[in-house]
Amino acid sequence: MASAELRRIQRRIKSVRSTMKITRAMELIATSRIARAQQRVGAAQPYTRAMNEVIRNVAAASGRASHPLLETRAVRTVGVLVVTSDRGLAGAYNINVMRLAELRAIELGRAGIDVRVYVVGRKAQSYFRYRGYLIQQTFLGVTDTPGYGDARAVANVVMNDFAEGTIDSVEVFTTRYVSALTQTASSWTLLPIAPPIEAAAGAPVGYTYEPSAEEILGRLLPRYVEAAAFGILLEASASEHAARRRAMKAATENADELTRVLSRQANQARQAEITTEISEIVGGAEALTRG
Amino acid sequence: MAKPFRVSVVSPEAIVWAGDADMLVVRTTEGEMGILADHEPTMAALATGSAQIHAGGEVITLAVHGGFLQIFRNEVTLLTDRAEIAAGDKAHARKLAEALAETDR
Repeated sequence: MASAELRRIQRRIKSVRSTMKITRAMELIATSRIARAQQRVGAAQPYTRAMNEVIRNVAAASGRASHPLLETRAVRTVGVLVVTSDRGLAGAYNINVMRLAELRAIELGRAGIDVRVYVVGRKAQSYFRYRGYLIQQTFLGVTDTPGYGDARAVANVVMNDFAEGTIDSVEVFTTRYVSALTQTASSWTLLPIAPPIEAAAGAPVGYTYEPSAEEILGRLLPRYVEAAAFGILLEASASEHAARRRAMKAATENADELTRVLSRQANQARQAEITTEISEIVGGAEALTRG
Repeated sequence: MAKPFRVSVVSPEAIVWAGDADMLVVRTTEGEMGILADHEPTMAALATGSAQIHAGGEVITLAVHGGFLQIFRNEVTLLTDRAEIAAGDKAHARKLAEALAETDR
């Protein structure tokens, strides 16, 4: 016959244990996803590297290249692209990026510059909607395993708005995957594309263009932005899984510790109960023998 | 034996093929183009179609959809939007490339 105290503790142990089962499962899933996400980040790098090289060469060869995506204008409206996850339980992963983006948005607002928010992930969507920001476009369901098509969709939306003059620049806020242990929220300007100045090294190559240099550049630059967006999404995804793994590992360890403490309490409660019972029996027996 | 040169075919998601080749035939927006070693530096836009890499007596047929071709310092880089190694012949590769273009929308 368990006392109310003992039953209460046992109920808590049961609930902590079942939570632990979930957090451990999520930790395992995240671990396997990191490996895959990391591998995809690596696999995308040759393309990005080759793309950068080609752009540098073309820019160097064609001299003062002009293209809408390279055009620096007076900034009246800034597009803020925030990359977060759809799901939570990833520690400070989302809040770090969102806070960074919001600080910048406040700073821009003070300077009298309009802000349009482009969000990737449900977390940023609810965060910025709740705070009353103008959300220009939302992309959901892409952060878990981003494909090139997702990156293209994001890139096309911001490129279109930039070309139409809805926004005069695009700043991206995302998480860089530095290593399995380190992921940092960072931001940089995506559009207009910064002219690759380091091209000055080495004589410009006398390319034969097929079709013309302008046309090639015109095709190349949108691809460059797409590839950049793809890199951003892939790194964010790897970071998300790494952050989730870490958060779930901590949660599992906490749950483990908690069950230890609780079972000690349960044992104490049980022992106290037995002691009370024994002393009651002994007391009763003594009362009988005396009588 | 023709002088070999370095060829790499990369897509945004992976390196599709990389190695030394004796000859390369690709489809650019201006038409089909054959490349041997020591080709002049060239930058071309790729069309949807097949590409054949002749490497050491073997011919690798690829389906390519869009992208760029860079020839620079005797190195050829195919910077494709989508590319896949085709199992069959040229006609098959062309069909595959069209399929890639179709799913790219």
